[in-house]
Amino acid sequence: MWFPILFLIVGVILGLLTNITIPDQYSNYLSIAVLAALDTLFGGLRAQLENTYSHRIFLSGFFFNVSLAAFLAFLGVQLGIDLYLAAIFAFGVRLFQNLAIIRRLLLDKYANRRKKSTTF
Amino acid sequence: MRGRQVVYAFVFLLIGFLLTVSIQHANRSGELIQLNESNVEQDLYYRDQLIDVQEKNKQLRSELVELQENVQNLEQEIANDTDELKDLVNRKNTLQKFTGELPIEGEGIQITLSDTTYDMSEEDHANQYVVHDRHIHLLINELFSAGAKAIAINGQRIYHDSHITCIGPVISVEGNVYPAPFVISAIGDQNTLDTSIQMRNGVIEYLVQDNIDVKLDLSSNIMMREKDSL
Repeated sequence: MWFPILFLIVGVILGLLTNITIPDQYSNYLSIAVLAALDTLFGGLRAQLENTYSHRIFLSGFFFNVSLAAFLAFLGVQLGIDLYLAAIFAFGVRLFQNLAIIRRLLLDKYANRRKKSTTF
Repeated sequence: MRGRQVVYAFVFLLIGFLLTVSIQHANRSGELIQLNESNVEQDLYYRDQLIDVQEKNKQLRSELVELQENVQNLEQEIANDTDELKDLVNRKNTLQKFTGELPIEGEGIQITLSDTTYDMSEEDHANQYVVHDRHIHLLINELFSAGAKAIAINGQRIYHDSHITCIGPVISVEGNVYPAPFVISAIGDQNTLDTSIQMRNGVIEYLVQDNIDVKLDLSSNIMMREKDSL
């Protein structure tokens, strides 16, 4: 359990140390990357709770989503249309859905545990 | 379980990295905006300064126009003054020429009076055939009243205070003695001088009656020197 949190701290420190400057026109890609990462995280958590977790689906989903979002953003820049908004929208909706499902699952689990304890 | 944790760790690493980068990016763009604001302020400041300078320029330009007008006026005045001065200098020169402080030059006439070569008879007195001072006085007075500007006897100028006297056969002009013939030159209008001395019953006639040889020449250029001692 501490392993991921340690890596989160390492990632934050890396981000602070590298001091990368991103040109303004690529800030869209950055926002999409953040959203894709968050989406993957919550998707993974949900799958774990539903006991349908799979390494392959998790990793392939992460990379595929990120590359599709990046491609959309690139296309949008080329066409002069804010197509990256579609990716943001999709990721956002998925984030909320996943969160809702996680919340429901956790609540169900909590309720089940209480029921079990009362039966004893 | 381990593999899952590794994957999660990887995802968390990525999320942490991306979040910090985007936060830094956001901060930086904020700085950029602030920079722009300060730029705008500076822009405004410089624009104000520019307006000030332009206003000052305008003011200075109008001042310049005013000063140029002043200069023009002064120049005009100076030109007028110089004109006046020139007139005055010309007048002074003319007057100096009259008084003999400067040489004078111009057209005029020359009258030569000589003692007659006529054979005198025994009983006549030599005085009757000699040029006297009164003849010369007469002639000079006539010339002056006819408007002669300057008169000279044998090259010596006559002034308002000159004296001409007869000393026997010679004539003294201001102490300088001249024998006959006497050349009297007068500068002035040739026509007027000529007519006035050749009038009927005029000076020439009188002189001829007094047995004096009179020769009259019109000269286009007579020159008289200035007074020796001023």
